[in-house]
Amino acid sequence: MAKIEIIQNQKIEPHEAQEILKICPFGAIEWKDGKLDINSGCKMCKLCTKQKPQYFQFVEDEVKKEIDKSLWKGVVVYVEHTYGDIHPVTFELLGKARELADKIGHEVIALFAGYQIQEKAEELLHYGADKVFVYDEEALKDFRIEPYTAVFEDFINKQKPSVVLVGGTTIGRSLAPRVAARFKTGLTADCTSLEIEENTDLSQIRPAFGGNIMAHIKTPNSRPQFATVRYKIFSSLERAEEAKGEIIPCQIDRERLKSNIKVLDIKEKEKAKYIEDAEVLVVAGRGVQKEEDLAMIEELANLLGGMVASTRPLIEAGWTDPKVQIGLSGRTVKPKLIITCGVSGSVQFRAGMQNSETIIAINTDPNAPIFDVANYSVIGDIYEIVPKLIDQLRQKKIEEVPAI
Amino acid sequence: MSTATIMKYKKMDAQDIQYLRSIVGEDYIFVGEENIHDDYSGDELAGIERYPEVLIYVKSTDEIAKVLKYANENHIPVTTRGQGTGLVGGAVALCGGIMLSTEKMNRILELDEENLTVTVEPGVLLMDLTAFVESHDLFYPPDPGEKSASIGGNISTNAGGMRAVKYGVTRDYVRGMEFVLPNGQVMNFGGKIVKNSSGYSLKDLIVGSEGTLGVVSKLILKLLPLPKNKLSLLVPFQDLSTAIQTVPEIIKSKNIPTAIEFMQGEVILAAEEFLGKKFPDNSSDAYLLLQFDGNSKEELEAAYEKVADICLECGALDVLIADTDERHDSIWSARGAFLEAIKASTSHMDECDVVVPRNKVSEFVIYTHKLQEQYNMRISSFGHAGDGNLHIYLLKDQMDQKTWNEKAGEVFEKMYQKAFEMGGAVSGEHGIGFAKIPYLEEEFGKEGMELFRRIKLAFDPNEIMNPGKLGSNYKVNLYAC
Amino acid sequence: MNITVCIKQVPSTSEVEIDEKTGNLKRDGVDSKINPYDLFALEEGVRIKEKNQAIVNAITMGPNQAEEILKEAYCLGVDNGYLISDRKCAGADVLATAKAISEGIKKVGKFDLIICGKQTTDGDTAQVGAEIAEFLGIPHANNVLQIKEIKEDSIVVDVDLPTMVQTIEIQLPCLISVDKDINQPRLPSYKLKKATKDKKIISFTVDDFEDSDESKYGMNGSATQVVRIFPPQSNDETETWEGNGNELADKIAHKILELKII
Repeated sequence: MAKIEIIQNQKIEPHEAQEILKICPFGAIEWKDGKLDINSGCKMCKLCTKQKPQYFQFVEDEVKKEIDKSLWKGVVVYVEHTYGDIHPVTFELLGKARELADKIGHEVIALFAGYQIQEKAEELLHYGADKVFVYDEEALKDFRIEPYTAVFEDFINKQKPSVVLVGGTTIGRSLAPRVAARFKTGLTADCTSLEIEENTDLSQIRPAFGGNIMAHIKTPNSRPQFATVRYKIFSSLERAEEAKGEIIPCQIDRERLKSNIKVLDIKEKEKAKYIEDAEVLVVAGRGVQKEEDLAMIEELANLLGGMVASTRPLIEAGWTDPKVQIGLSGRTVKPKLIITCGVSGSVQFRAGMQNSETIIAINTDPNAPIFDVANYSVIGDIYEIVPKLIDQLRQKKIEEVPAI
Repeated sequence: MSTATIMKYKKMDAQDIQYLRSIVGEDYIFVGEENIHDDYSGDELAGIERYPEVLIYVKSTDEIAKVLKYANENHIPVTTRGQGTGLVGGAVALCGGIMLSTEKMNRILELDEENLTVTVEPGVLLMDLTAFVESHDLFYPPDPGEKSASIGGNISTNAGGMRAVKYGVTRDYVRGMEFVLPNGQVMNFGGKIVKNSSGYSLKDLIVGSEGTLGVVSKLILKLLPLPKNKLSLLVPFQDLSTAIQTVPEIIKSKNIPTAIEFMQGEVILAAEEFLGKKFPDNSSDAYLLLQFDGNSKEELEAAYEKVADICLECGALDVLIADTDERHDSIWSARGAFLEAIKASTSHMDECDVVVPRNKVSEFVIYTHKLQEQYNMRISSFGHAGDGNLHIYLLKDQMDQKTWNEKAGEVFEKMYQKAFEMGGAVSGEHGIGFAKIPYLEEEFGKEGMELFRRIKLAFDPNEIMNPGKLGSNYKVNLYAC
Repeated sequence: MNITVCIKQVPSTSEVEIDEKTGNLKRDGVDSKINPYDLFALEEGVRIKEKNQAIVNAITMGPNQAEEILKEAYCLGVDNGYLISDRKCAGADVLATAKAISEGIKKVGKFDLIICGKQTTDGDTAQVGAEIAEFLGIPHANNVLQIKEIKEDSIVVDVDLPTMVQTIEIQLPCLISVDKDINQPRLPSYKLKKATKDKKIISFTVDDFEDSDESKYGMNGSATQVVRIFPPQSNDETETWEGNGNELADKIAHKILELKII
């Protein structure tokens, strides 16, 4: 068994013990009656073995059973969908799968499970899949964990893939760990970067500690290697005119699709109610001259799937609800994107939004303090820019729709 | 006041503006209502709008000195302004003239870790100061709710905040200052020294003088080591009076929390509604919120357990422990939103910031409940139970303007009377500005006001500094100057 | 009904830094606390207990200091606390963690409902819950938004799926991972703290487990390996754009697409 061993021949005095205890960032080294010990907080980071090799030693496994990686072939993408409507993260993963597969000379395989989905499968062949395995069963109509896991298991047993990519959606993050545990293999969640080595080991990079650190993770000795990736991390390939590849219908014993879950109802998601929960905010500031003009701010927010927020003067004028006021004494927000329209940026306001991921500020005054916190300072008139921006985005939306 | 001699100030002309421009530079001067951002026509006191003739941003002591000297010689009023977050009209240029903004003087000049002081310009924001010193494991204890206020503004009103219970108020942390007299003379009061028995403490007089004596151009503030841990207790009680009556018992126990706040169920509901977030407990109508700080978990635990036991003995239903950031936020974010939540729940409101001895808080709050019924007007309150400073809000709701004016006037009158009877004072931390001058007069009487006036004239014989506020010899008629 | 809530001790702050030179986490003097996401799970468990007849257990894996969070769970209304503490569990990834906790849950005894938080604030993986369910061979649902009904042998919950909300009835025993903000967690009670001061925590080691094969736990049972950790790159890009309305609208639209907002 791999472990850290303590080499201690004599009693350790308290002052020295203090120094030694400090080495471990996880507080896993203990000292009692002059004796050192390691507790279960140990993360095997081996820091102690580097800093105090006289006391700590890492002992490797005596026998390591190696698996034959060449028996595992193919890069799989799980096709995420809602009643046959394929989630766009699937196409992004196919793009990445293509890149990985080409590097090691494997195929890209899509796993598509659902009910009455056969005709939707063809689309996947336009986006880089070499093969689409389709399980079309009534028991797969709604997403339920056990039958979907059973199908996944059946597929893996038959195909023995090397890499499995699953969208980091609420479904993917429920299904992927379930399947990974069934095969006693590794799964790395929310990868932001994936690369593959010649020996088919996947190099996975993911954030931890709320994004404050990044970790590089490998699955060195088990297959398949599972990874989930969030939507909008990778890019899909351009849709190819021609569908290359084949669709392979699969069968599974219906006994295995039994479930202890009954779906009672399906409903629309509620929209975010409070501006703190919105991913995108469009902020109306004093640059908005008339109450009617809020309509264009509203429209921009709608197009972006976001919400309208405002600054204090507009609330005092009675144009907007006090609940949408951004500011230190109002609400503090940190959306993915915030577009401020005619906001000069008081101290209060900036303190309430400066941690947003991306800040685009539009204002006519190049000296407006809002530009001190903006990523993109747009010097111009909202009355010229916003309507044109709305037109452009509408155009883009129309272009995109048929593709998905 | 009866003898209303109104100063005649000079209307500013092209020559004055030309001179100011030569001092502060083209980009730092704005002339006339059409060019001055409307933020500068008032502060957070609703219902008043008065523009200065000229707005200037000063960038150094030297500029301040030159501007004041000129204004003094030419009888031009000067109103100093930080962030304009005051609540009593203190930074409103009642008589026009020059508005001198210290916003651009926002540098932290020196951190002296040997003397535990920080030297700053007046325009530094409280939140920036706090973040800076805390990054060096140091602590500036005054904690007024408005973190975007400037430190200069805090000095001018002697701002307090929640931690006053244990740590005192702004005045207690001013070691020294550089001060510009209206004639342009630059003075230094106090310093990095800890002790000082050298004559009148002019720095202490300047703190709380609301810009009526001159302009603070530099500050030396005292710092403490930053306590490593903090913890809050949320203590539910059956009713408010049981809750507030517990406070003197806590104080007697000598395990002083950094803050003792009281809050009522209805205000919590308003905050829940406003934030769209539930409060961690809704079992009761009245709560005390206590905060502790200390250097180790053990020290903290020892202190709070004693107090928690006292609360239980005094009838608390339980004592709930907020010991992590999330738990802290779940309480304090609601506490922080009270004012906005109350504001959002009514058409208009007016506030009173009286302070009474700590053992009278309960009696005073109960008195406001009586007034609420008597005048059929919603009166909400929350506040610093631990230091006796109450924030009481009269809500206009559906009242017409005339009824509101009458009722609010009477209610204020009664509340201040009650406070004075109890040995209280007009303002705990917001200051007097011009909105509370009549009540100040009630508190100090003729002799007191005369003393104020003589102090004012000793510093500012030409009465150019913030006219119409402390030390003026007339009640302000907005349209008379 | 027997409810077991899985909790974890995490550092008090997730604002950790990395030593640029050594690549190690700087965790000097960092206190620890119950993973904030687990507080929602505990609250949900205790609320069920308050409405129905139920026993609520809390289980955690960690060093002996992790007893603290079980003691705290007592102050929130939990009945029994269990600690899996064994050096053999050190260095566990998701797979080995889920294995150990599932064995611990079996060791606790009969279970009807297992509740987990959505994720932890240190690992952030959000996958331990589903893997525990797999090891126990029971159904699970992630991202539970609301528990609607507790029946004799099933529960009805709302589940957040990518594009909709699904209401499902799951047979007991089952595992659910509850979403953040499913409730407002209560604060620890000082009264309960006093009342449970001497209440014991029950400890397990791998040898106590039904499956005590050492190779399945800790680093040996882990399928993944952390090669290194490093600080993230921050986006502090700033640009100023000037021009006519058309050009500016164009640039903004372009940026919005680049950010994949639409």
